[in-house]
Amino acid sequence: MQRVTLYLRLFVWFNGRQLQRHPWRLSAVILGIALGAAVFTSVRLAVDASLDAFIQSIELISGKADWSVLGRGARVPEDLVARLKGDAAVETASPFVSTYVEAQGNDLPPFLLIGIDPILDYSLRTWELASFGPDQTASWLDLIRAPNTCLLTPTLAQALQRSSGDIVQLSHVRQIAPFRILGILKPQGLARVEGGAMAITDIATIQEFIGCQGRVDRIDLKLKPGTTEADLRRIEGALPEGFDLERPVETKETGEAMIRGYQLNLSVLSLVSLFVGMFLVYSLVSLNAAARRNELANLRALGASTDLIFLLILSEGIALGIAGWIAAIPIGSLLVQYLLAAVSGTIDSLFVRVQAVTLGPDVSEILLSFGITVGTSLVAASKPARDATRIAPKEAMIIHGSASQTPSRARGLWAIGLLLIALSWPLASLPPVGPFPLAGYVSASLLILGFSSLSPPLLRIMGSRLARPLRFVGGEPAFLAGRYVREAGSRTAISVGALITAVALFVSLVIMVNSFRYTVSLWVEQTLAGDFFLRPSMAGLNEYRDALPDDVVRAVQGMASDVDILPYHRLRLRHDKTPYELEAVDLKKLMSYGGFILLEGRMEAMRHPLFRGEGVLVSEVFANRSGLSTGDRYGAQIGKAVLDLPILGVFRDYRTHGGAVYMDLKAFQTLTGITAWGGVRFFFKDRDRDLEGATRALEARIRRCCAQSHPLEMAAGLELRREVLRIFDETFAVTTVLLLIALLVSALGIATTLTVLVLERLRQLNTLAAIGASPGQIRSMVFWEAVLMVAAGELIGLVCGFLLSSFLIFVINRQCFGWTFLYRIDMGTFAVSLPLILAAALAAALPAARLVLRASPAQALKEA
Amino acid sequence: MSRSDDPCVIEAHALTRIYPLENGGAVGIRDIDLYIRNGEMAVIKGNSGSGKSTLLALIGGLDRPSRGRIVVGGRDLTTASAAELTAYRRTTVGMVFQAFNLLPTLTALENVCLPALLAGMAYETTRESALNHLRELGIEKLADRYPAQLSGGEMQRSAIARALINNPSIVLADEPTGNLDSRNGEIVMRLLADLNQRQGRTVIVATHSALADPYATVQITLRDGMIAQRTPCNG
Repeated sequence: MQRVTLYLRLFVWFNGRQLQRHPWRLSAVILGIALGAAVFTSVRLAVDASLDAFIQSIELISGKADWSVLGRGARVPEDLVARLKGDAAVETASPFVSTYVEAQGNDLPPFLLIGIDPILDYSLRTWELASFGPDQTASWLDLIRAPNTCLLTPTLAQALQRSSGDIVQLSHVRQIAPFRILGILKPQGLARVEGGAMAITDIATIQEFIGCQGRVDRIDLKLKPGTTEADLRRIEGALPEGFDLERPVETKETGEAMIRGYQLNLSVLSLVSLFVGMFLVYSLVSLNAAARRNELANLRALGASTDLIFLLILSEGIALGIAGWIAAIPIGSLLVQYLLAAVSGTIDSLFVRVQAVTLGPDVSEILLSFGITVGTSLVAASKPARDATRIAPKEAMIIHGSASQTPSRARGLWAIGLLLIALSWPLASLPPVGPFPLAGYVSASLLILGFSSLSPPLLRIMGSRLARPLRFVGGEPAFLAGRYVREAGSRTAISVGALITAVALFVSLVIMVNSFRYTVSLWVEQTLAGDFFLRPSMAGLNEYRDALPDDVVRAVQGMASDVDILPYHRLRLRHDKTPYELEAVDLKKLMSYGGFILLEGRMEAMRHPLFRGEGVLVSEVFANRSGLSTGDRYGAQIGKAVLDLPILGVFRDYRTHGGAVYMDLKAFQTLTGITAWGGVRFFFKDRDRDLEGATRALEARIRRCCAQSHPLEMAAGLELRREVLRIFDETFAVTTVLLLIALLVSALGIATTLTVLVLERLRQLNTLAAIGASPGQIRSMVFWEAVLMVAAGELIGLVCGFLLSSFLIFVINRQCFGWTFLYRIDMGTFAVSLPLILAAALAAALPAARLVLRASPAQALKEA
Repeated sequence: MSRSDDPCVIEAHALTRIYPLENGGAVGIRDIDLYIRNGEMAVIKGNSGSGKSTLLALIGGLDRPSRGRIVVGGRDLTTASAAELTAYRRTTVGMVFQAFNLLPTLTALENVCLPALLAGMAYETTRESALNHLRELGIEKLADRYPAQLSGGEMQRSAIARALINNPSIVLADEPTGNLDSRNGEIVMRLLADLNQRQGRTVIVATHSALADPYATVQITLRDGMIAQRTPCNG
């Protein structure tokens, strides 16, 4: 107890009061840590909230179902329900259909309409009417007996401003129909799906409404206790060809794995800020230890043990970590609001549908954030703490010790740096661990560490070689700055390392995002070519299951005089567990207007077999995830039809929901018997006309003939392509925010380091003043030191960033998302941003320069 | 005051401590044989670089010899572990430095308390003892001031109080008057002499000032790291 009291007393006397003496420096460091901690926690909380919303929706929809019967590329015949119920192992078999619909007469986003058999479903899913009493049973029966009736959640009823007995007009591509509201659900179970943006109707009503009579999305099964593997095999064996048994949990696991992968990637990126913040802690604790070297020697001389010294210095880092973590709470609570919208939007675009994402308290994330923040601060303080224990008690007898300024030669750093850089390349080629590119990140870290190790030798060279030339540019102060930087050795390495990290990440991410955007813009011009697009309303939300109604197809066919019409059919399929889209389109016509950015295969060689439907093109994502490549065979079952075609080439594709496979429409129709149109692309034959005007006219024409009776989605090609790029930019907005915070933290790092360097040799600087150097000259010297450090940091960071960008594009993106991009450097961005970073880092030197000669030289010399 | 039949409290044989220089040369002390009896006031004299502070650091357990042997109060400092040296510094010796070496973030009183607290004493007890020392040295009213608020003489008196807090049998002072004016230098030297004469502590002062001469019982002169002369004095 006495030891603890002593430690606490000394901590307050020795560390606490020292920290209090420099409130601005302390605030800068705490702010740096707080920003890092806030970013890290906010990102994780935002992704967790999206993940919770996704899992909750899946679980509520799946209910107690053990297995589901699903069709490959086709809906399931409803008559299977009776057959399945007849199986001895099946307790319940319940059909399920869902679709997104819109309510007419308001601006609400689409919501989910779920069709069930209320009697069969009751034992599978929880849903209950809010009003109990004699009418409850009647309402149930009305749902089955009366067509076009529905139950609303209280959330939706409130949003629609409707109550029991009211009529709501629901629209789907086939029709717009009135639905009578039978009752309002209790806000529990199924009614919580998508945050309550859902309604329930009878299975027959929804089949009639969306035109899939006799077919359902899936049949959910609840099996009897004691069901064996043999029972399962029997049930599956009894299914017609093209239908499978699948556990609902698989959908959840696939989605969860994708979101977790995304979370890991964002966490790594957000850790950068925390990592850079670690440099700040290191700088301040080192500064405090160095500035009190003589005091530490005194403590040792007075009988303090090395353990006590270690603990005192380490505690300083821990205290900074705790203070930073506390300061992160208000910053994080602001940041998380922005990130919640951005992150859930990205997950919704890239991976799985997530709706109604709300934040909840998460004790494990809060503990994790505390542990990581304090842990990184502890690691950062451990080296200065170890160094402090090496201070000999005899230094107490040195009056104005120079021991703290002993130059550190940091020998061998060249070799270590080059070794780490060399190791990073082979490591990058290792496969990912699940969805997480562990090897990619480790090799990226090695690369950054390797280049950071090169900073002391580079500074030494710069100091040696540039000192004399600098004299011509900046006079004696520049020469002295060069000499000082040469001798500072590894003392500046940590802070320059922080700058290298931030600059390298900045450069690599700028290259990656620019390459990505450039390739995506090429892709939208080529593969998303088209002047006008038409498809059923909510086609994407409803996974392209609905075809254009026949009268719309007929009307479109009548417009073929001045436009080329490219009908297509798109199916959402799965290869093993990986989702992808199969698109069948007239490839010959498509390629006359646009085409594919090929990664494998030559267009000349594949043109004819492709146009004849004797092969398919697969996207890079599909190839990477399926392991299939040019020359392999692509296989898929669509209903009863089996596709087995050679892969003729691999193309770049950046659609957000997995991979893509393209085949010729005629061959698809012949092989599958599916002739319905999933959508249409229009190309104006006369390319010299006013395309925008013609597009507007075409849209008006379609609206007049078809849109009154059928909700349709129409988009001008230009707008669609612009929308794709808008989504792209939104997706990377999170990355940009994280990056800017990392740069801000590294600027704080430079400010702290320069302050350290100034304070450590205040006596030297004041001696210079005493022998005639003007305050301006001394400030100029500090400024030139900053120039050299920042220049070294930017130079190394730039080279490191270029290499890192290759890792990001060709390793990490490939392993995370399955795609790579055309490498492209936007020199314009660097021409503007790098000088800005230089200027910002130099601006960070101002507090240090102002610190010099705050007191009179005589006073400073006396006190130092 | 010591008597000729008092036992040796400090014995050094062939004591050597070399600090190599980058230019190939070396500084330090070489082959010093030293005997200081209990209760003596030894004044070590010599020019800058003669090895005074090095010798004091070795006696104080702040440094280890390159070779040779040093025994203080029967304890062989040459073979002592780091923990034993720490305990030795806490209990046996009190140090007074030329630059006072008060911790700037601690008040005068806290500075004085520090060695006792490090030795495991309770603050309340230590505080009383520290105030007594400050009172004896005439600076009790300055107890709550920080070092920056004290004059040089006041700082050195605080440092002496700090050196005495653990009641050491040996007080080592390295140029204790080096940063003081002559009046304050005289006061401090009298205080050190008083520790020797009135309290019977062994006091070793390394200085090139003549202020200590009247109080010395033995004077050791160092030149180029070796003992040039050892003169018993009447004190």
